[in-house]
Amino acid sequence: MSAGGRPAAQPGVRVHGATHVGSVREANEDAMIVDPAHGLYAVFDGMGGAMAGDVASQKARDVVKEYVRARRSQMEPRAMIDAALNAASAAVHAEALSRRDRRGMGTTAVVALVLDPRRMLVGHVGDSRAYLLREGRLTQLTRDHTVVAELLAQNAISPEEAEVHAYRSVLSRNLGARPETRVDIAEIALQRGDRVLLCSDGLYGFTSTEAIQQLLGSTDAPEQVAKDLIEAALRGGGGDNVTVVVIEAGVATVPRTTQLVRTTGSISWWARRERFFEAARAAGLATNPICAVLSPGEAVEIVAGNFVEALFHDLEKATTVNVWTYAENLAHGWLDRGGGWAPLRLLLDILHHSCTQVVADVRRDDAELALIVEAAVTRELTVCEMAVGGVLGERLRAIEAELVKLYGERQAASEARRVDTGKPFLDQPTMPFLRKEATSEAASPEVRPVLDAALRAAMQRERDPAVHDLLTRLHGLACEAAPTAAVTVAARDLFGVRALEERAIAPLFDALDRARRALIGAIHSSQGGAATPVQVAALRQLALAAHRLAASISGLVVEAAQPGSDKLREAVKQTSALRGQVGKNEARLAELERKFATVYDPMAGKLVDPGSSWGGSR
Amino acid sequence: MTRTPAPLADRVDVLRDEVLDTAERGDRDPPGAEIFEAIVRQLAALGDSAGHGGLDLTLHDALARRLAWGDTEEVLLGDADRVFERLVKACARGLRDPEEQAAVLETASDVLTAAARIVALAAVGRAGRDRSARLREEMAQRRLRDALHEQAQTLARLEQEVKESGL
Repeated sequence: MSAGGRPAAQPGVRVHGATHVGSVREANEDAMIVDPAHGLYAVFDGMGGAMAGDVASQKARDVVKEYVRARRSQMEPRAMIDAALNAASAAVHAEALSRRDRRGMGTTAVVALVLDPRRMLVGHVGDSRAYLLREGRLTQLTRDHTVVAELLAQNAISPEEAEVHAYRSVLSRNLGARPETRVDIAEIALQRGDRVLLCSDGLYGFTSTEAIQQLLGSTDAPEQVAKDLIEAALRGGGGDNVTVVVIEAGVATVPRTTQLVRTTGSISWWARRERFFEAARAAGLATNPICAVLSPGEAVEIVAGNFVEALFHDLEKATTVNVWTYAENLAHGWLDRGGGWAPLRLLLDILHHSCTQVVADVRRDDAELALIVEAAVTRELTVCEMAVGGVLGERLRAIEAELVKLYGERQAASEARRVDTGKPFLDQPTMPFLRKEATSEAASPEVRPVLDAALRAAMQRERDPAVHDLLTRLHGLACEAAPTAAVTVAARDLFGVRALEERAIAPLFDALDRARRALIGAIHSSQGGAATPVQVAALRQLALAAHRLAASISGLVVEAAQPGSDKLREAVKQTSALRGQVGKNEARLAELERKFATVYDPMAGKLVDPGSSWGGSR
Repeated sequence: MTRTPAPLADRVDVLRDEVLDTAERGDRDPPGAEIFEAIVRQLAALGDSAGHGGLDLTLHDALARRLAWGDTEEVLLGDADRVFERLVKACARGLRDPEEQAAVLETASDVLTAAARIVALAAVGRAGRDRSARLREEMAQRRLRDALHEQAQTLARLEQEVKESGL
């Protein structure tokens, strides 16, 4: 992790920035500005394959920095931010046009210009965000410039649809797509104690808003907050580069309740730790299967002791990070040993029960303090539950991936067996349109080394296992004379047992796109300079393979959707039959009622002769 | 006087009749036209400062329209396949510069993969709508069964009363 920050030149403003490459990416394509002397802070998130993302973000950073430094005292601030970001967009665009491997690169930007400790301008383009934390409440200051966010703003889609929309990560604006761009700028009136956070999507994409609120709201210095935010993103998977800049406008006035929790509350908690141990012991902590390898004394000392200590440190610092870590370690440790859910639930209940006993003990001495401590402890217990829930979710995802793999293997084996019996699965009329095409041509001996070299280069660049899988398959299909059956098998393996939902299907196409682009990029860079006929031939093989694979996956999706349509047709038929039956009954009822009305005089209360006039008697 | 070559997109657009086989069909808007047009559009955007990569809403709309008009997903994918095959051959003959051929291949690959994604997601959307429609049908069936039950009771009562009245 790299960090930036130095004593602020503006009195009363404390700032710190930090960035981390994340757990998945190889290069950090984010960039930031922490320039207290000019009150300029910014986060840039670059994008574009073949290592162009970092070029875009760094270029934009340099241009914005220079622009503001040169004109800080001359220009009207709002116009200056607008002009600086437009200058950055023009520079990135020009750079992108200058080289083939940088084509399409761009970057997001969120820039904060602190005018004085009471005023700040925030300008942004793309989906990097600015948040404001005021009196414990977190507000998002920027609106993402994504296609989905704009559809949402126009009420064209619902928030639920937006979450799973196929184009949720497609930006509608960025720096570099065009020489000029439209910048959204807002002026924020700062109050003492406000904290502003600038961040890339590597933070909010892998951390809940609640966690950001908790961490930003802690009483720690901006340095520690930035570190904790990055740690939270890494703990959430760290699937992207993560960059944060924390700006604090004056030291916050800590509320009286927080002061009480941090001082008297934490002390009274620590002083009653023996009461906690006693309650945990009585509730059967030592007999819980999680503590099976520990003696009763050790169980209390380690399992309960660590919890009490974590909670004490959290109360002291008004955070929840220690308890979160405790719960996560506990859950991971137990589940790694093959443990089940029930003992974990029981242990959480024991901890909850013991906390209640301690709070009751505090209440006997000081009812007001007990109320405050109870609220703080409840918050800690909630965080515990959330941490354990996160671990369980992670495990479930891993199990699902394993099941998909096993299913694929079983299906491949089953298909092989069917071929042996002379009744190949692929001859069944499931996807006639995929079978009518002829076998593709194998790559020529001159083209093969280019494809091999491209695969090696792309494998080194990409770290995602799903993309690795696709790289190997695309390479195989591009090199060999692959019959349609081979493409279908590859597509089936990749498709696995996905749900028929956008959020399950879209990642497969995303990975295919990434693998395809990585191989194309590697083919281009394999021989340098202008493209050669051999490179063109390699590109043709690759493009054909990618198209066949994508079409085959689409075919599988269509095939999977078909039974639903058939069932609907059947249901419509049944409804129609029922409607017909109801209609017939209506007709019969009407006939009977007519007949009945003809012979029964309701006024007279007796039957009349159908042959006589109304009211006549029999 | 030196002559400036026409932009790549224009030179590919010239191949339209050959790629889409319009001579044989006698049709200016034959199947697969939306794919070919998306390729030309994207090629034009490569050198155009206002162009930008990413989502091609026009292609999305064109494919969605064809689906709405009753073309199946497999027909759409088949058309895309044919366009790609014919475009590769036409470009190999019509474009001499390997750099330009590479640009066309890359662009065609982008468009075809995007088309496959759009078709797949359209099928997913259709499946969702089918599910909802089936739920509605099932609810309607439940109401109709209730109505049938009530009708049966009323019919039985009326028939009994008619019978008792001796009519």
